[in-house]
Amino acid sequence: MTGPSKRQDTHGQDSPGRSSNRPLAALLAWLLPGLGHMYLGQRFRGRMILLGTLFLVTFGVLIGGVDVVDMQRDRLWFIAQAGTGPIAFLLDLLNQALLKTASPGTQAQFTSLGNLNSTGTLYIALAGLMNVVVIIDALAGPERAHDTPGRRSTDR
Amino acid sequence: MKFLAWIPFLSPMNWIQSAWYLLLIPLALGVSMIYKAMRVTDIHAYWRQVGVMTLQVVLAITGLAVGLILFVRYIIPMT
Repeated sequence: MTGPSKRQDTHGQDSPGRSSNRPLAALLAWLLPGLGHMYLGQRFRGRMILLGTLFLVTFGVLIGGVDVVDMQRDRLWFIAQAGTGPIAFLLDLLNQALLKTASPGTQAQFTSLGNLNSTGTLYIALAGLMNVVVIIDALAGPERAHDTPGRRSTDR
Repeated sequence: MKFLAWIPFLSPMNWIQSAWYLLLIPLALGVSMIYKAMRVTDIHAYWRQVGVMTLQVVLAITGLAVGLILFVRYIIPMT
């Protein structure tokens, strides 16, 4: 890992780069997955992180319905899901507004059970946990060139 | 007919209940997309590496599942 004001070029050598506000990048990464990397100039990586997170969240809700994000009933799972940032809170809000206030018959129709609920919950929890890794990478990850193809000295 | 009552994003995909284990594939794909976006060194090889990692995850979990099945069906009854 190099210092905060240096980045590695395509040959793994240090070259001066634009100094970035890493804590701001981490905050942006929580607010919208991938935004932190885009802010750091790694636009391709940022776009792929956003695409991957939205893919997991969309699939999770598609599998189990909005019931898979529930801050009150599945609090421990929600802690992991909250890693996706406002997306998880918005889904919980939708769940509370659409399902929890509905009649018992409607709730029974739209509440997912068994493997589908577990799988949908897992999808969004994994998206959240992966975004925690993304946030750490934005905060303290290695300096990279601005989406320039190359190799990190630590990678094979 | 199974799809008629299904409202995407609101009601669960009950029609896939019997083949829920297939949902491992998009899960592995999504995790690989995020992981490789941070880890890949040559962004031109991104999608290839995502495909390789997805395959590795699916094969590893399938192997674990087969191992567990063999353990539960054949090893445990012997003890």
